Amino acid sequence: MAPTRPPPPPNNIKKRKEAPTDPQTNASKRYKPTDHRQKTRDARTLSTQTSSKAFKNGELDVSAFVKSRAFEISALEEGMARSKKALNRRAFQQVPKELRRRTASHNVKRVPKRLRERGKREMADDNTPTVTARRRKPTAHMRLRLETVKKLRALGAKRKAGMDRVKVTVADPNGAPPTKSTDSAKDKQQPAESTTAIKARTPKIKKSLLATPPVPKAKFRKRQIHKSWLPTHLFHAKRARMTAPSAALWRFSVPLTPTAKSYRPTHRASHERGAVAWDMSYIATVQLEGREGSLIGMLKVLGVAEEELIGRKGEKWRQGRRALENFVYEREAPHDPVAPVTIIWCVSAAEESAGMAGKEKRNRKLLLRVHPSAFYQLWEELLRLAKVAKPAVSVEDLRFDIGSLEITGPGGTEALLSALWPSRTTSEPLAVRDSASTAMDIDSESRNKNTIVEETWSSLAGLTNPAMVPKNALLAFNVQDPRLHHPPRTIKLPKTDAEQHKLLELIASWPVDAAQQPPELFDRKARQAASATMPSQKAVNRRKGLAAPGQYPEPLPKDPQIPVLLYTTAPSTTDKGASGRPPPNSSSWTLLTPWKCMQPIWYSLMYYPLSTGQQPRFGGLDQYRQLSFEAGKAWFPGDFPGTKAGWEWEYAERRKREAEWRRRPKGKRVSFERVEVGEGVRGEIGIGWGCDWERLIGGALVASEGEEAAMNVEKAAESGDKSAENGKTKAQEEPKEPPQQAPSKPPHLTQLSARQALALLATPPATPPATTTVKLPPHIHLPSALTTVRLTLLTRGVPQPCARIYRLPSSTANPELRRQWLALLPTDTHKPTQKRGGKHALPRGLPSTGEIPPHVVQQRLAQSLLEPVRAGEEGYPSCPGEGDLVGFVTAGSYDLAAGFGTGIGSLLVEKVMGREEEAGERHLCVVRNSGTGVARLGRWEVI
Amino acid sequence: MVRIKHRYLLVNILYPDAKHSQLAPATKPGDNVPYTVQFRRPSPDQMNGGLLMRLIRDGVVELFGDYGSGKIAGSLQVVKYFSSATSTAIIRVSREHYRLVWSALTFTTRLPRPVDQPCVFQVVRVSGTIRKAEEEAIRRARLSIRRAEAAAKSSSVSIAGTASTTPTAVAAGEDDFDMIHGIEDPDEPGDMDVDDDG
Repeated sequence: MAPTRPPPPPNNIKKRKEAPTDPQTNASKRYKPTDHRQKTRDARTLSTQTSSKAFKNGELDVSAFVKSRAFEISALEEGMARSKKALNRRAFQQVPKELRRRTASHNVKRVPKRLRERGKREMADDNTPTVTARRRKPTAHMRLRLETVKKLRALGAKRKAGMDRVKVTVADPNGAPPTKSTDSAKDKQQPAESTTAIKARTPKIKKSLLATPPVPKAKFRKRQIHKSWLPTHLFHAKRARMTAPSAALWRFSVPLTPTAKSYRPTHRASHERGAVAWDMSYIATVQLEGREGSLIGMLKVLGVAEEELIGRKGEKWRQGRRALENFVYEREAPHDPVAPVTIIWCVSAAEESAGMAGKEKRNRKLLLRVHPSAFYQLWEELLRLAKVAKPAVSVEDLRFDIGSLEITGPGGTEALLSALWPSRTTSEPLAVRDSASTAMDIDSESRNKNTIVEETWSSLAGLTNPAMVPKNALLAFNVQDPRLHHPPRTIKLPKTDAEQHKLLELIASWPVDAAQQPPELFDRKARQAASATMPSQKAVNRRKGLAAPGQYPEPLPKDPQIPVLLYTTAPSTTDKGASGRPPPNSSSWTLLTPWKCMQPIWYSLMYYPLSTGQQPRFGGLDQYRQLSFEAGKAWFPGDFPGTKAGWEWEYAERRKREAEWRRRPKGKRVSFERVEVGEGVRGEIGIGWGCDWERLIGGALVASEGEEAAMNVEKAAESGDKSAENGKTKAQEEPKEPPQQAPSKPPHLTQLSARQALALLATPPATPPATTTVKLPPHIHLPSALTTVRLTLLTRGVPQPCARIYRLPSSTANPELRRQWLALLPTDTHKPTQKRGGKHALPRGLPSTGEIPPHVVQQRLAQSLLEPVRAGEEGYPSCPGEGDLVGFVTAGSYDLAAGFGTGIGSLLVEKVMGREEEAGERHLCVVRNSGTGVARLGRWEVI
Repeated sequence: MVRIKHRYLLVNILYPDAKHSQLAPATKPGDNVPYTVQFRRPSPDQMNGGLLMRLIRDGVVELFGDYGSGKIAGSLQVVKYFSSATSTAIIRVSREHYRLVWSALTFTTRLPRPVDQPCVFQVVRVSGTIRKAEEEAIRRARLSIRRAEAAAKSSSVSIAGTASTTPTAVAAGEDDFDMIHGIEDPDEPGDMDVDDDG
């Protein structure tokens, strides 16, 4: 029964024509339109002519001969054309990966211009239905809804008209949002045009209250009930995988990863060529305002180091010329770590005039930027501290007020430069300006002090690594609306040596430090004015239309002045790349700007044609984690399980991995209870799908109930006896729904800073930890203090998240195993990066074919006897026992920057301190991936 | 990715001996049908792809035994193109073993049983893609048309009607050989020989 032609559609109107089939071969033969193989086979068949047909009654004459040849030529030509067409792809299929859109197959306007004509023809050819949402005939259900909407609109209009008759417009001269009486959105834009304006009381800013997300447009309101969108949500939602609607991350809808493949492209864009940008608006911003003395007191309680607060080291930071990243701690007794926080002081206007005492007294502002997972913890802490502080400090939540983005990669500065046109520059626009001359302007004495920041910014063209400017340097200025200069053009970059030299001189002298005015971003009114005066896209388009062709519209005095604050994030000097060298480019720019101004800036960035080709890429959360992993930096919250936020993250990850594990059939998932974990023990230590810190701290006896039960289920099922079966059915229901909320963090679990950890590790092994000279704060419970480390594997292997970290067995307890592990230690220092052949590979440089002379084989044999054993061979050391378990890997994979597997994890400090170690054996460890029996030798270093 | 690679042989069947022809010339041979037409005479209808396949297989078995036949068995395919009217075929065979097929073709002097006619197989082109083989076939077809017309003209046979029907088939003069007869190879003009006239 061959499938016959499909039944004709009921209304006899074919939606699509069938693909053009071969006209001359078997016109009667029909096949399903999806039968591509048959289609290509048909297309490739060449038509032939038999000689009896070509030569009538078997006569050979010249004309028949010529005709038969002519037939052959046409048959071959047609065959070639046909087979080419069969292979042909439609216009939208030929688009490069990053330009593909799902909608392109239905709407020819989504296809790049050069393919549009062809696409149009193709769509006409096969009758592709192209409907836009606007012109689609609504379904019956939709029609009902639309009618309801229409009615509601009419009602609303009537109500509004009634209100307008009696309305008194309340205008606010400061550009603050109108008070509650005028709640229509339109009035915010154009207050007081017709009616008499009454001067309104400036609304009191509610301090110490959590900010509410901005009210979204009615169309999008229902989708943001339990979460908020980032300002660039629409951009990302089209191009990236977002968090699931039900599982918002930190109450935001966050892009996780671009839809296009991006692991290697992201690495390349950030390290070699290009740029990667993130919308980091989910990072929370808090403003503190008060006397400098009380602010410093507050910061001190939060755990900011003394030398920063009063010493000379932190002077520039305190003046507001640098940003500072610091870990903050709770005020109460256990002093739990909260989160790393970026602290930025506002430059005070009258600085020189005040003396030391005056400095203490004057009012200052500072911004704290913290990851949203730790925001509430920090917020509570700040409120408590602000109440206690004398004189009082006001705390203001600027979460939905200030948005931010981060951009890294060699092209990042360039892209930012094209997006941010300072408003105050009087000279020609940036794109046509000669950067050499600007550098000269700055050097010259006739410079205008007001525009020095702007000029410095404009002359940073050619900077490929933001780490070159002074570390954590700040730049604050106002910029024009980037939509006026859209689409962006490639800026002029310095080419000659002299220009490069100027740039270097500028960076070295860094004139911004002396000239930075108080950033307007700290000023609520400036922020609101900028947001409120942003013209509509329509108005921008009109202005662009009026401008001369090829020219950008002239700036007007009424244009919004968007306050921006830029700072660089560079790896600290102690940080090094995973392979022991500093990563070539791990620094980035962070841009703070009012929430509502984020979107235009973002679009200008994303469409900037980089001088090295392509455009900046955008990244999701996964890319952010990938790059911080490649730079060897710990990522908050994932790599800080000792904090509350990190603990919750770990719990969420654990649940995710567990669900994944459970989804698989039993035969195809790791059976954790059978894994050999060393010392002849079978069964994974703790929970196989998580970093089981509870077990590590509490020992084997104390285990969390739910998860351990889940693991036991598998064990019981394995044993297979009747009672176990019963137990299984009972126990299986229990772990099915693990608690939604993460269980609270073990009370003493804490995360030590690198400095504390290094000090503890430096204590000589002889002295017990209780009597160390290290001034460890008494509240720290050493048996449950973690520190974040970076791991490199010395032989082979790639650590995965949840991998177990063991210390080497001590020479007293198990000297044999220790010796075996130490024998694996490569003798050369640069061994891990060397090319390692396959398991049984012969050395390189041998003839690949032909006979290998016997002496070479013997040599090789002798060499292999001397070489350390490989995993899987006899004599490969087994994993140390659970007593030597010291920590877990929180992030690990093959590191594209280093060229081998690295990882980031946390260790229990107490278990690794005071070990007898020779110089070569320092910080050695054994890493075993969860669910596997093979362990690898590695080395860790505190970060 | 490793691809299976093939070679496409473009083969012409030539009939140097006019006596054994099954197709009777319109008049006496040698009178007004030029030799070039007779030489490139159409094959009989019984000659088809299957027969050619059998011929090659038998030839390979004869020359190389079971080894050779096993080697080519997997990849040999004649059905790519066989036109008896023009005695042209395109044969596909794996890249490693196309020489076996080639030599089997070269050693063939006679078409097998149901046809049973002396012939010469000429491999005119070996290419990696079928497209190039097709292009070459087109080029050669054009050449032989031109040659036939020229020969007909020179032997004062009116083929005016024919010439007018195939103006497109006659190509521009880049490969215009003034050869009338014989086996020609434009790549090696020195090899052209005209001694198969008689």
